[in-house]
Amino acid sequence: MKRKFRLSRVAAVAAAMTVSLTAVAAEAHGIWFAQRAKQLALIYGIGADDLDMVKRLPQVEKIAAYDADYQPIKAAARVAGPIVLVDSDAQPTVLAAVMPYGIWSRVGTGEFEKKTLQEMPNATVSTHNIKYAVAIVGPLTKPLAALPGQTVQIVPAGPIPATLGTPLKYVVLYNGKPVAGAKVINDMVNDPDAKDVETGADGAVTLPVRNQGLNVIRAVYVGPSDQPKLYKQVEHTATLTFTLPHLPE
Amino acid sequence: MKKLATALCCLAALGLSAPVFAHGFTKPQHGGVVQMNGETLFELVAQPAGVSLYMIDEDDPVNAAGMTAKLSVTAGGKRKDVAMVAMKGNQFFAKGLKLPKGANVGVQVTNKASGARYGTTFTIK
Repeated sequence: MKRKFRLSRVAAVAAAMTVSLTAVAAEAHGIWFAQRAKQLALIYGIGADDLDMVKRLPQVEKIAAYDADYQPIKAAARVAGPIVLVDSDAQPTVLAAVMPYGIWSRVGTGEFEKKTLQEMPNATVSTHNIKYAVAIVGPLTKPLAALPGQTVQIVPAGPIPATLGTPLKYVVLYNGKPVAGAKVINDMVNDPDAKDVETGADGAVTLPVRNQGLNVIRAVYVGPSDQPKLYKQVEHTATLTFTLPHLPE
Repeated sequence: MKKLATALCCLAALGLSAPVFAHGFTKPQHGGVVQMNGETLFELVAQPAGVSLYMIDEDDPVNAAGMTAKLSVTAGGKRKDVAMVAMKGNQFFAKGLKLPKGANVGVQVTNKASGARYGTTFTIK
């Protein structure tokens, strides 16, 4: 994300809802894992915008890798030129990351500023943004677990299919439990402006797997503030990444 | 003339189909099981004396001497990491290792010079 939110997008959101009483999802950017030169990289951005992850790396709170039993494997980020790679001590089945993205406030439809509610007491929106990423990089032998630190997490409710177009049910977890009202899109890389689908009472949405390649599903859930003196809400943006292999050549 | 036309058609067909076979190695070369990760081939061979791993990256056999390799065998809720020894060519070997049925075997090969990691996961049937 740029240091300041894109005003046009924020304005569009603001125009669509009454900001004074409604929780506002203010920021669509996220983090996800993807392959770069056959290495696993942590990406920040949206759509085709693969933004500067290196300068944001100090904000990353946690990078984790897990084996097939979801036991942790030692993992760390490594700057490799302009990108951030993730090295693990053994081949992982799942990768995860958490990146708090600061407190942002604004008045009305004004520009978001990196200020708390104490610093901008007349703010109509004041939000703490946190980004989460989970990637499935090996075959799952049991349902994907709720992972430590992933306050909001997308889990597939069935096996990952072999071909695109196959419906797949996802459940969005909040503190490990299914949550209603999370806004999900099917492909934040290739279709970032898609109309989102909201999870129902069971926390689930069913979407066709979109790509015979990289799939990055995004869920945004606006939850209550844990520090109401500093911000009014917490905006959790979570991604789930998996890849469908192409046919052998 | 007819024979020539047929030959040209065949050549054209061969020409057109050539890119399809651009990545030729997808089959076992040593009697083991193969797992592809993108265009990197990993072949795992269980033998009485241990387990061998062969790696071909984008159709080029890697130089095992320039790599380190590790197998992570997960079975019965426990993971055992086993360092492999570089052998001739693109072969790595783990002496005495047995792979139980149903185990997940994570393979990780690391380029000593660049630190680049390559890997995949086998499920032993």
